[in-house]
Amino acid sequence: MPSNGLRTSLRTRRWLFSLPPIEWLSLRIQEALIGALRQGPIPQHVAFVMDGNRRFARQSHIETTEGHNLGFEALAKILEICYKAGVKVVTIYAFSIENFKRSKYEVDALMDIAKIKLSQLSQHGDLLDRYGAKIRILGHRSLVNQDVLEAIDRAMELTKHNDKAILNVCFPYTSRDEITSAVQSIVALATPSKSKGRHLETLTEEAVETSDCLLESHPQSRSESPSSNTTMASTVVSGSPNSAPLPLREHIDFAGVHHKEMLDLESISERTITDHLFTADNPPLDLLIRTSGVERLSDFMLWQAHQDTDIEFVDCMWPEFDVWHFLPILLGWGLKRKRFLREVKLDEERTHSRGANLSRDWGHNDYVQEKKGL
Amino acid sequence: MSTRRLVGPPIATARKQEFEDPKARAAYVKKFLPAKDDEPSTRSRSRPVRTFLRLCLYKFLLWVLFSITSVYYRTRYVKNFILNRWFSILYYHHKTPELIQKDVKQLDRLPQHLSVILEFEKEGGVEQLIDHVAEISCWCACAGIPTLSVYEPTGALKKYISTSHRITTQRLHSYFGKKRPTLRVLAPHLPSYANGDTEGLADGESPDLEVIFISEEDGRESMVDLTKTLCEMAIRGKMTKEDVTVELIDAELESLTIPEPDLLILFSPCVKLLGYPPWQIRLTEIFHLPDNDSVGYQVFLRALYNYAKCEMRFGR
Repeated sequence: MPSNGLRTSLRTRRWLFSLPPIEWLSLRIQEALIGALRQGPIPQHVAFVMDGNRRFARQSHIETTEGHNLGFEALAKILEICYKAGVKVVTIYAFSIENFKRSKYEVDALMDIAKIKLSQLSQHGDLLDRYGAKIRILGHRSLVNQDVLEAIDRAMELTKHNDKAILNVCFPYTSRDEITSAVQSIVALATPSKSKGRHLETLTEEAVETSDCLLESHPQSRSESPSSNTTMASTVVSGSPNSAPLPLREHIDFAGVHHKEMLDLESISERTITDHLFTADNPPLDLLIRTSGVERLSDFMLWQAHQDTDIEFVDCMWPEFDVWHFLPILLGWGLKRKRFLREVKLDEERTHSRGANLSRDWGHNDYVQEKKGL
Repeated sequence: MSTRRLVGPPIATARKQEFEDPKARAAYVKKFLPAKDDEPSTRSRSRPVRTFLRLCLYKFLLWVLFSITSVYYRTRYVKNFILNRWFSILYYHHKTPELIQKDVKQLDRLPQHLSVILEFEKEGGVEQLIDHVAEISCWCACAGIPTLSVYEPTGALKKYISTSHRITTQRLHSYFGKKRPTLRVLAPHLPSYANGDTEGLADGESPDLEVIFISEEDGRESMVDLTKTLCEMAIRGKMTKEDVTVELIDAELESLTIPEPDLLILFSPCVKLLGYPPWQIRLTEIFHLPDNDSVGYQVFLRALYNYAKCEMRFGR
């Protein structure tokens, strides 16, 4: 039986790799490779579609849930390598909105796994803590049960002070839903308000809605500004001596409202939509990896993966995807990027524009600050 | 074992207290722990030579790795090149529709909407692009694929709609003879061009083959335009935030640009979407041949074979 053989070979392989000398050697080699890779270009933002857990389970005659568990183990290893190698943001496709179509039993099991693993990952001293990574959940919050939401919030709370790296977990996520909610929030910003109260209400609603998507900086900045506006206005009305005089109040009001409502439709650009996505303040997506040999994006990172992202389709199931699959991809990416950079260097003019582009992306926070300040 | 543990000497009361009080316990344990954990940084500061050597070693290792990878890529390129040549000799259409039909006859399913990405090259210019379009159109017409969309980032093709139509019909003539399939060439926001091919057709009936030209402006830009329109409507009070749904955007974008393609063929050696419309590519099968950089019939055919084997699961 081939499936039985597969299972045995997997077990033998595992046993072999768990032997102390071999394990030690493999760890040493890994470390050396990662150390070497760090000297070259490294993708700043990597996304994974963890496909093939169920097919793997079916092939090796184990329970589906067990397949998902093995998938999580694979993820933990890959995450460790990513952060060691210097990847800033890792985005994983954990659960699609379409996945709710699966059997209730499996959905529940997946939710349970998510709950357990989230708390495990974010525990003090575990993976994320070690590499200073902050966890963020991107997705449609309203579709998740209360207990899972609590686990999510706890995990985010625990890791929120880490600032070296980010782990984005796309959990009830589809890219179309993400883009739609971005458009929605832009439309909401443009919607004129009948009264000031109504305006503030929609704005706060908006802020809550977007922070539902668990974004940190942007919604905060958005929700902050109106409230600061009101406090400013109220201080002026109450006539506190050291605060701004009347003309300034008008100015604040005007600027604030103007900015909030985005009356200037012409200012809406690709960047506006990018800024309203869940991945707003992340560096551009450099590498997208999908396992299991299916060559489709399946509603994942459609907007983000559209220009320069390298998309790699790997022909193995996610639980089998390990260091030795991943490091060659990183190496290939580094080589490609190195060649690309060399090409760019040859062409002075293009270097200039590219540099400008990069600095624009990296100065993104400044850009946001600027926008806030307006 | 268990008896030994039972028999073990009782801890003296003072000792016991020391263990129960967390502070005292921490102080006790600390004696046995190694010094502070910012040790590695101090070590590296005190041993700059070692750090430097290690860095050099890593740099050298990276160089070695890159060299190996590049040699590997080169051998793979040669292997794939030979393979591709072999395929193109094995499967050649000889400009006969019957041969192409025979090739695709055994496939269970065919894409109803095929999309290709073509890149503008300086040497070939627009002529080469139009030539590729004409060839691929003929293959589609032979295989029975009714819609072909051609993505070309710069939008150069959009200026040559009538020329493309003329050249493609000529090519179709050379394939099919007098009874060639009807053809319509169109691009978003531009009048479609059929040159009398659609005259005999009733309303709502489409020609045998439709070729759609799209470019970078039909990608993200079209979505920005849609957002602007929606905002404008919102300002006029005709629209609220709640009215914006996935279905609405989907319907609008489909009418503005292209519907979702079933299969996307890249003629480039690696998968980069180069600004392809993001919304439409959701479930599209993406096909490319590693190390291939030519537009050939064998790529087209292998893409169709690959597509037919694939099972659609829609996340289920």
